[in-house]
Amino acid sequence: MNIALADRPLWLLSWLVWRLIPGRGAVKLAEFSFTELGSGLDMLAAVEETPRREMRARYFQHALDELRHSELFRNRARAVGGSGGRAEAVLDDLGYIDSHGIRGKTSLFQQLGEREFLAFVWVAESRAAQQFGVYIDLLGTDPSTKEMFNNIARDERFHIAYSRAELDRMIAEGEGRAASWAVLRVRVRRLGEAWLRFSRVLGDVMSGLWLGIIYFIGVGPFAWLARRTERPKLGLLPVAAALPPRELAWEMG
Amino acid sequence: MSRYVLGLSGLYHDSGAALLCDGKIVAAANEERFSRLKHDSSLPVHAARWCLSYAGVKIEDVELVAWYEKPLRKFERILVNQILEFPRSFTAFRRSTFSWLTDKLWVRNRLIKELGVPASRLVFGEHHRSHAASAFYASPWTDAAVLTVDGVGEWATTTLYQGGGEGLAARSELRFPHSIGLMYSAFTAYLGFAVNDGEYKVMGMAPYGRPRFVDEIRRVFRLGDDGAFEVDLDYFSWHWSATDSFTEKLVALLGPPRFPGEDFDPKRPEDQRFADIAASVQQVTEDALVGLATRLHRDTGQRRLCLAGGVALNSVANRQILLRSPFEELFVQPAAGDAGGALGAALWAWNEVLGGPRVDVGLVPGLGQASPDEQTGEMLSDLKAHFERLDDDTLVERAAEDVADGKVLGWVQGRFEWGPRSLGHRSILADPRRADMRDRINARVKYRELFRPFAPSIRADVAHRYVDLPAGGEQPAQWMLLVAPVKDPEILPATTHVDGTARVQTVYEAQNPRYHRLLDAVEARTGHPALLNTSFNLKGEPMVSSPVQAYATFKRSGLDVLYLGNFRVERGGVDG
Ligand SMILES: [Fe+2]
Ligand SMILES: [Fe+2]
Ligand SMILES: [Fe+2]
Repeated sequence: MNIALADRPLWLLSWLVWRLIPGRGAVKLAEFSFTELGSGLDMLAAVEETPRREMRARYFQHALDELRHSELFRNRARAVGGSGGRAEAVLDDLGYIDSHGIRGKTSLFQQLGEREFLAFVWVAESRAAQQFGVYIDLLGTDPSTKEMFNNIARDERFHIAYSRAELDRMIAEGEGRAASWAVLRVRVRRLGEAWLRFSRVLGDVMSGLWLGIIYFIGVGPFAWLARRTERPKLGLLPVAAALPPRELAWEMG
Repeated sequence: MSRYVLGLSGLYHDSGAALLCDGKIVAAANEERFSRLKHDSSLPVHAARWCLSYAGVKIEDVELVAWYEKPLRKFERILVNQILEFPRSFTAFRRSTFSWLTDKLWVRNRLIKELGVPASRLVFGEHHRSHAASAFYASPWTDAAVLTVDGVGEWATTTLYQGGGEGLAARSELRFPHSIGLMYSAFTAYLGFAVNDGEYKVMGMAPYGRPRFVDEIRRVFRLGDDGAFEVDLDYFSWHWSATDSFTEKLVALLGPPRFPGEDFDPKRPEDQRFADIAASVQQVTEDALVGLATRLHRDTGQRRLCLAGGVALNSVANRQILLRSPFEELFVQPAAGDAGGALGAALWAWNEVLGGPRVDVGLVPGLGQASPDEQTGEMLSDLKAHFERLDDDTLVERAAEDVADGKVLGWVQGRFEWGPRSLGHRSILADPRRADMRDRINARVKYRELFRPFAPSIRADVAHRYVDLPAGGEQPAQWMLLVAPVKDPEILPATTHVDGTARVQTVYEAQNPRYHRLLDAVEARTGHPALLNTSFNLKGEPMVSSPVQAYATFKRSGLDVLYLGNFRVERGGVDG
């Protein structure tokens, strides 16, 4: 086991989570499936959007790799988690992709532009390779999953290599300063995103608490009153206005 | 000057956008085709922007932007139900209230901010009226009865309308929680399929069974004789649960539910029970729809029926409505589900808010994005694909040859389809005479449940030779929304279901010229102007839209050859 010092806490935490919480490993695999799907879709969009036509084949190959990884993770999540488990529910919930790829209004490529996009690819892929290294070690007990990680790691090396080569080319062409800035901006952005994810989780917990209080204190009495009133009516009911007045079109309710 | 209306739907099920120019459809698309996330329900920003750019107009040029439902009324329904179901609605309350307070209630602000819609031009339709408008105003008829049936909109789950010169007059409705759509989805979940996605699978499984559970299902879903129905809420939980749609009581009544992802083998007694339940649910659904249609016919005296809402995608039930209700003709809008609500909202705004003239809206299968051949060619050479460019005649001849040779083709032509069905623009095609095709396509491309049938496309003028299409079913048959008994199951075995039926698409030259020509060329080689036609996508993914997506899917699947516009692409090139 050769794990970088900086990754030791991650390793320990992951080890605890994977070993101690049943089903957590499968859920992690399912989440990885979305990470890969997200970057696959990001890459596919880059194929269409790059003005540098010579980059298309690279991005395309990269996209196919990520989509294949997504598939591999998905299958492993099912195999490890069994049918009907937590992992299955995660796989069914496309909401998970929100925290990974294809962000909102425009594609990642459009948001970043070519230079920063390549910096992003390099930073993200390097980080992912490190993390996968941790997971390969963790999953020593399961040979199929280990083999899958090794398989994927081979592809990731290609992703790191070509994005690095592009950054090096920029440096060689005298754009070294711009390339370093791009890498820095990507790192800062990723930190910001990590913070955002964390605060979103925190926000979810807090709002859950508040809504719980509102529900039992605020809704409870209404419910007691509502019990005494009529339930919604049954059967075919007449409609208040056969043709709603035109002015109501602007109303939300 | 041209007048534009943009319709939008989303934030619940599939989202979509549709743009009208002087009342005619210019462009319409599901958001999932752009975001690449199946059943994407987010605000349809990509689809809306694309519609505008396709027409070359800015949002300021649009006279009205119509959202497909009344968000406040929907929120009210959700809150009222959670109050009534206190305290077991706790989890649902926490989840839905959070998403409403943080997101869905702000749809107006989001549309203003993210799409730049001027507030004064933003109107809100009613969910069922949008469904109804999507069918009635897109139909060729000036007078018709209209029936909308889905899971739920604001309060209504089923609405009966009379459509005429003055607009859509609502006659009566059934309200939440009594819902055919939610009942069907609950059984979809019970049978181990994903809700809002696996409903087709229940329909596909039904013919393997006998409807021996009809009495049990009618006990929990009671049909009145006036077309109304009532759900026994002890057996279902969609009115209070965030995750489940049926209760232990249903399990006690029918036995344990099916595990998701399990194989299905009708020879196993347990799977036979599931098939029998599917058959029973399907039959009760048909009875309910026929009852509603009969009632609506009595109320309106119309000969023609327009149908929309998610339940109208049930092509087996559509046949029963035609056969067993007094209506003589049927129209179903191809995007009958919620994405189609975008078109309905636009048509409602045009006809009933702006009072624009009723026109032929020009409904054709392809209303989405297309790619010019020059771009496709450039892309293919950049991606080092093995391809050649063919002229129109050769293209069709070569494709027919490939079909006759037993190859499985990817077929990407023109604008992508509006609605959930592939209709010859983004299709996987094969020879339906070969019985083994079903297994081959499943094994190499679709990886889907073996019990689900594939559908045939048949040239409209000779369709009657192959299937027994009921009179008055011409409209839904062109959208692949009507099942019909096959006359000779030996002829097209790959597209004939176990019960001897097929979900046929009839192909017309005017709407689909290239696909029509392909059927001619196929006929010259196989003797039958018929193709197996299934949507061009991998399992769990939306249909492909752009050439890059099509080529990527081609590379990731076992398709033999890909037709992209005028290009024929073979396997090979970078890594095979
Ligand atoms: Fe990857
Ligand atoms: Fe990668
Ligand atoms: Fe609906």
